Amino acid sequence: MPEDTRSAFEGGEDTSQERIESATNVVLAVAALGLLAGALFGLISPRYLVFLVSLAGMYALLSLGLNVQWGYAGLINFSVAAFFGLGAYVPVLLSASGSPITDALPPIAGLFVAVVVTVLLALAIGIPTLSLREDYLAIASLGLAEVVRLVVRNQENWTGGTGGLGGIPLFFEGVPVLGTLARDIGTVDVGFYTLGFQFWNSLLNAALVGAFVLGSYLVLRRMHRSPWGRVLRTIRSDEDLAEALGKNTYAFRMQAFVLGSVVAMLAGVYYAYSNYYLTPDIFDPIYTFYAWIAVILGGSGSNRGALFGGVVIVTIVEGTRSLGIGASWRLFAVGLLIVLVMRFRPQGVLPPRDELIWPSARGGEADE
Amino acid sequence: MLASPVATWSGVVAGASAPGVAQGGLGYLPQLLNYLANGVVFSAIIVLGGIGLSLVYSIADFANFAHGDTMTVGAYAGLLTLGAVGSAGPQVFALPLGFYAALLAGIAVAAVVAVATHYLVYEPLDTDSIGLLITSIGVAFVYRALIQIQFGRGFTEYDIATLRPIPWIEDLTGITVTEHEVAIVLVASVLVTALHVVLQYTTLGRTMRATADNEALAKVSGIRTERVITSMWVIGAGLAGAGGVFLGLYNQLSPRMGFNLLLVIFAAVILGGIGSVYGAMLGGVVIGMVNRLTPVLTDFGIPIEPAYANAIAFVIMVLVLLVRPTGIAGEGVS
Amino acid sequence: MTHDNRGLGRRDVLKGVGAAGVVATAGCVDLGGLGGGGGPYEIGMVDSQTGSLSAFGERNQRGRELALSAVNDVGIGGRELSISVQDSQSQQQTGVSAAQQLVNQQGVPFLIGAVGSGVSIAIYQSVIEGTDVVQLSQNSTSPQLTDFPGLLRMSPTGRTQSTALADIITQDGGGSVAITWINNDYGSGIKDAFVDAYDGDIVYNSSHDQGQSSYSNVISQMANTDADSWLFITYQPEFTTMTQEAYSSGVTDQATWYGADSVQGSDVLGNTPEGSLEGMKIVLPSAAVDQENYQSFASEFEDEYGRTPTAWAAYTYDCVVTAALSILAAEEFTGAALGDVVRDVTRPEGEEVLSFEAASEILSDGGSASDVDYQGVSGPIDFDENGDPVAYLQILTVQDHNYESTGFITGE
Repeated sequence: MPEDTRSAFEGGEDTSQERIESATNVVLAVAALGLLAGALFGLISPRYLVFLVSLAGMYALLSLGLNVQWGYAGLINFSVAAFFGLGAYVPVLLSASGSPITDALPPIAGLFVAVVVTVLLALAIGIPTLSLREDYLAIASLGLAEVVRLVVRNQENWTGGTGGLGGIPLFFEGVPVLGTLARDIGTVDVGFYTLGFQFWNSLLNAALVGAFVLGSYLVLRRMHRSPWGRVLRTIRSDEDLAEALGKNTYAFRMQAFVLGSVVAMLAGVYYAYSNYYLTPDIFDPIYTFYAWIAVILGGSGSNRGALFGGVVIVTIVEGTRSLGIGASWRLFAVGLLIVLVMRFRPQGVLPPRDELIWPSARGGEADE
Repeated sequence: MLASPVATWSGVVAGASAPGVAQGGLGYLPQLLNYLANGVVFSAIIVLGGIGLSLVYSIADFANFAHGDTMTVGAYAGLLTLGAVGSAGPQVFALPLGFYAALLAGIAVAAVVAVATHYLVYEPLDTDSIGLLITSIGVAFVYRALIQIQFGRGFTEYDIATLRPIPWIEDLTGITVTEHEVAIVLVASVLVTALHVVLQYTTLGRTMRATADNEALAKVSGIRTERVITSMWVIGAGLAGAGGVFLGLYNQLSPRMGFNLLLVIFAAVILGGIGSVYGAMLGGVVIGMVNRLTPVLTDFGIPIEPAYANAIAFVIMVLVLLVRPTGIAGEGVS
Repeated sequence: MTHDNRGLGRRDVLKGVGAAGVVATAGCVDLGGLGGGGGPYEIGMVDSQTGSLSAFGERNQRGRELALSAVNDVGIGGRELSISVQDSQSQQQTGVSAAQQLVNQQGVPFLIGAVGSGVSIAIYQSVIEGTDVVQLSQNSTSPQLTDFPGLLRMSPTGRTQSTALADIITQDGGGSVAITWINNDYGSGIKDAFVDAYDGDIVYNSSHDQGQSSYSNVISQMANTDADSWLFITYQPEFTTMTQEAYSSGVTDQATWYGADSVQGSDVLGNTPEGSLEGMKIVLPSAAVDQENYQSFASEFEDEYGRTPTAWAAYTYDCVVTAALSILAAEEFTGAALGDVVRDVTRPEGEEVLSFEAASEILSDGGSASDVDYQGVSGPIDFDENGDPVAYLQILTVQDHNYESTGFITGE
């Protein structure tokens, strides 16, 4: 292949970025107002609205996580779904009545166990694959994620297998105030709506995923601007230079991989406690590819872009459902979207511009 | 190459008294031979898929994630054709002529689709191999979605009667193999031999090998690389389409059939060596045999169930990448 | 020009809420008829119109349409019944969204749904529980639904098949069983329940995947045990392959064969050799085929669709009729009122009625829910305290390479 092809996801000369950004903002603002107005005037159930926002948050977590791995560190990671599933399964296996292991732990404790397990699994997948060439990393990470899926599917004495796990409690069960908050608020009549237990519960879950998103976003932004982030950017753009500077590139990439996997895992936690029933299907690679579209579309390397990408995924997934379009057409739309984005705007809608540059060096000079 | 493992196993089996081999000793041999026979058939399918993947890797220089779904396209094109032509008429290897028409259709449609995709999607793209990899995922989704829309998401089968095993083989060796499976192996061998002939003895083959080795040099020496690339897609996808039709005959058809096999084919190609067509064949045989021999583990009390057959292939793949990334026969990719 | 990140919090909220709105408005605008005035009574239904369970969705559709016409021929107090159907796409999340739309947007007080057990449970826990809306699943068979008394279902728990199989095997004198089951929620549900129900030895218990070319390893491993009974929980193509391979290996007479409902079908008989299945016993959830209402249902079904009805269509038929009867018997068209009467219209107190028409005569005359006992086309129904119906199973035995009905079991 000719040496002068652009690296993936670099756009060409782009003077229209400003216009695209403002156009995007306008569209989003209009849509947001439309939604809120709809809710106020009784056209859209507030419960559904809350659900959509939460779902956007879930996909945003997946893409934020992948963004750390791909956007910051240049890792073509195809094992996102394994961590998504892990975040769902581990807390549930410790807290649900349908679990073959135990139901003694409160879900919050299960969350901490999930973090530990995620780190371990990330190491287990990362150690053999992170030193591989890019496309080999992709294939190998996908293969190992598939191994995880097959284990969850077949070891039903550990995971409930294809029969699935039910009897999932509320996430905040066992926690002093939050555990009973949804019930305690009771039923409230507001305008067109009667807001009952289910609504408060969804709101609580939305707050949970929102906290995850906000926390992850802030932490990642902080780290991106830190020396750690700087080293990662150097590694991504010129690994030999980083090595020459004496950085242990392998260690940095592993840290990015683990961090990103933990963020992706949080999405799984939300999924479990808002869906009340788990099957091994959540380890399906499609979730990995959703995260990829979100990151590509949003602009790789950009956290804002990752959030935007999450919103786009929700739009596609829920939009096609609302319009009665089946899963097959949705798959078609997703595939077509990938092809079109790669063809016409591989840098995504909101690529990182100044985010990648250390604030004090915005003049365009390289870091010291 | 297979002789020594068989001899070793026979020795092990003769002396073993593991649980699950209750009939003891040579009573297990027919079952083992059956697994090997299954392995040969499955290897044929993997090899057909692997060659195309390896060709794309060496000539177009990216990992084509749409390759599995190309096999699916071939399989469903065959389904349509068989449905149209019907199962009546004379039969070769208990397969009606309609099936052979379906096979040709599968090859042709897969080739056409791949070439069209190349010119519409890959060629205009100005990006590196990772970008092409990601794009091929989108292409894979499009193929699969269109098939799902047209044929539904469930399992179907070719309208060909399920066969009983060939009696004389069964009486002689205890191996239960049907004429269909023999057909798969024979036709696949014919196709692979034809490819070998093309690669070694024709101008096209020479130019393909030259382009695979060093594209810049090939261009400089006047080779029409564009024609080579088109031929590569035709051959690679055509073989994949044939593999898909055979896979549908061997198992059942479903829209995910190709994608489910894709990683296994990657494992085969990586094991054999990226960039080497002969390596892909070798890797295909090894991975195919190992995959079908997985039940031996539980027969001997090792608790790795046959459901993990693919997982074993993936682990092998990762090990190969760690220890010897060029694979058995590969020269590595520049 | 500089895109610094100060106002990002706001922007994120906007973005998050925004884009979703574009599409939410597309499908969500509906004030819903809440049963006021003289319009039709509207209830909701979540069905697997697409996805892995779409075959059930098709069967359900036939049952639903037939039932709707039967109900609307008579009418409910002069008004019609209308069912708003949404597709679960055979997935939990989609099913939950669909249920939310029906319950929260359109305000239906009665929801028929869903097919997949996981979907039904997810809908119950995240949409229905804590509200007054009545949920009645048409096809879910997982034993896990029994744990939710508020979640009613028309198809009996898979446990009944398993219990029936366990009883039959024990009665036949089988003391040790080798099981193979298809690795999905259908297979694992029946297998789990069988393992609970069966008292004897289970010497082999292994799953297999759908759509494989060969199951010879399963067969050979089963043959290597000394089980006197082999139990197959799988689908027709897989079972056909297994039978052929067992016949080839000469092990079909080694044990007595038993099967769950999905292993039977004309394709199986057509593709297996004579004598290979002789004596095999299969249990099948079945409508009460000797009952007159089933027979008229079946003949209407055949007239309309040109095929014999499956049990699944019969369950959906009964779901619609039960909903209609509940509306008729209830004091008002609200979830609470419907929930009060839905069980009683099917329970044994009261006169046995075999059709909506007959029941509506009693109810319109001032009768209450406990004055009727609707006997469905799928069986007597009779919801118990867990919301499960009484099971009605047919036992088939293969004789001369044909399925003969050799008995019925009414489950507990």
